[in-house]
Amino acid sequence: MSVNAPEIAPSAGRLRAAALADLGGLRDRHGVHFRPSMRRRILAIGIPLVLIALAIFAMVVLNFSLVRILNGLHRLGQFAILMMPPEPQGRFVAFSIALGETLGIAFLGTLVAAVLAFPVAFLAAKNVIPNIFAHFAVRRAFDVIRSVDTLIWALMWINVVGLGPFAGVLAIACSDFGSFGKLFSEAIEATDGKAVEGVTASGGSKLHQVRFGLLPQVLPVIASQVLYFFESNTRSATIIGIVGAGGVGAYLTELIRVLELQQVAFLILMILVTVAIIDFISSKLRLAIIGKAKIV
Amino acid sequence: MLVLNDVARQYNNKAAVSAVSLTVDRGSFVGVIGRSGAGKSTLLRMINRLVDPTAGTIAFDDIDVTRLSGKALRDWRARCAMIFQQFNLVGRLDVLTNVLMGRLNKVSTPRALLRLWSEEDRAIALSALEQFDIAGLAAQRADSLSGGQQQRVAIARALVQEPDVILADEPIASLDPRNTKVVMDALLRINKHYGITVMCNLHSLELARGYCDRLIGMSAGRVVFDGAPELLTDDVARGLYGLEADDVIETAPVAKPELSPGDAVAVAL
Repeated sequence: MSVNAPEIAPSAGRLRAAALADLGGLRDRHGVHFRPSMRRRILAIGIPLVLIALAIFAMVVLNFSLVRILNGLHRLGQFAILMMPPEPQGRFVAFSIALGETLGIAFLGTLVAAVLAFPVAFLAAKNVIPNIFAHFAVRRAFDVIRSVDTLIWALMWINVVGLGPFAGVLAIACSDFGSFGKLFSEAIEATDGKAVEGVTASGGSKLHQVRFGLLPQVLPVIASQVLYFFESNTRSATIIGIVGAGGVGAYLTELIRVLELQQVAFLILMILVTVAIIDFISSKLRLAIIGKAKIV
Repeated sequence: MLVLNDVARQYNNKAAVSAVSLTVDRGSFVGVIGRSGAGKSTLLRMINRLVDPTAGTIAFDDIDVTRLSGKALRDWRARCAMIFQQFNLVGRLDVLTNVLMGRLNKVSTPRALLRLWSEEDRAIALSALEQFDIAGLAAQRADSLSGGQQQRVAIARALVQEPDVILADEPIASLDPRNTKVVMDALLRINKHYGITVMCNLHSLELARGYCDRLIGMSAGRVVFDGAPELLTDDVARGLYGLEADDVIETAPVAKPELSPGDAVAVAL
């Protein structure tokens, strides 16, 4: 507590003095705020306890063992040594083409997913379609599509359209269609109703409301989500290559299997650089889009 | 005593406040008036150091406010409470917690983060809320309150800081006439009962004349009037407010323009 210089006393001391003098009265009138709430205390201690217990339980069930990590650590070291120095060993061009294919899969897949999800997301937004059944149905559809992982979609599409990048594009488009639908519709629901009311009051139709009241608010959010997904899909696209859906993943699995670890290291470096470049560009783009939205 | 000496603030080569020198006596109720963009907000924010001056010094008693940093700066901020036009409460927290935040500077950090408020702090906060007739709302979420109620919560938060100075930046600009009176009365009560210095930015001349002991008129970042409210004649006010003057000076009847359809209308913004 501060010890105040005498000249400060009139302001500072008085409120505290009055409050303390009336402590009994304040307790009588506002007892609730003095008694520590039992319920809140139990929750504050109970929830972390339950979470810790769950985590320990999960570790036991899943055979967590520090000993096994430590024992295996030298294998990791061996891998690292075998990877040195990273070298393409004459396959730089082939790697580049495969990486380009991966990028293409990520780009097309994200684009198709976004274009398809964009109109449908409006159907899933409560503030656009007030009909509960309509947006409930659309939402559950998104859930179903989303609950199947990209890798599983890839396995399915390979059976439908055969091995290769086309199956990869379809896999990413499918799984992200579900994710985009959910994210876009949530962005639409988080918009400010005042802008729409303004358009309505000026005699705007439903379509006008969406075009002028909603779109300017959601576009920056949607754009930044799409950019992020493109970035993360570049990584996903290497994975689906492993099951034969085109791109750089096929090389990765093959090379790891035959223990050509120097080439693996080089390939990983190439992917790293590519992802870093995409990350850099998309963060610039994202800032540009969001910045502009603030001014409008 | 708060002393400002040649204080200035520039934003990208544009001067928001230039060469302001003032002395504010302890316990006075000072109104800062002027049109929007005159530099009133920047002036108040510089005293709290939410905005740093680009030149000049601000001193309170023997503290050089402009040089403070770290803990000393936070202590100073606790001593000069701010009240904002948009209340700046944490809407998702209850009213009592919002008020108790005014005591953060006086509570140890671990206790504060765990919201383990002492009985004394709770008593002070509730007592402050009682003074503004809103103790009954203590458990409600701040964003469920009306504007006038929220501003009273903000004033209670400022009061429990046990400050020496309260800086109110357009505290009534978003309120209706009835709440305007409630809030201004609350500020006046703080000033008279606790002897806390109040500096209040106001747009309305009528209110400034009614509540303040001293008026400071700002225009284009400079102080162009400084004196008792009686000395602020309508002519001075006209100089302060320019085209807006007739809207602000209530004594002058507003002439309703007579127009016929099709006339060109010049609108002063």
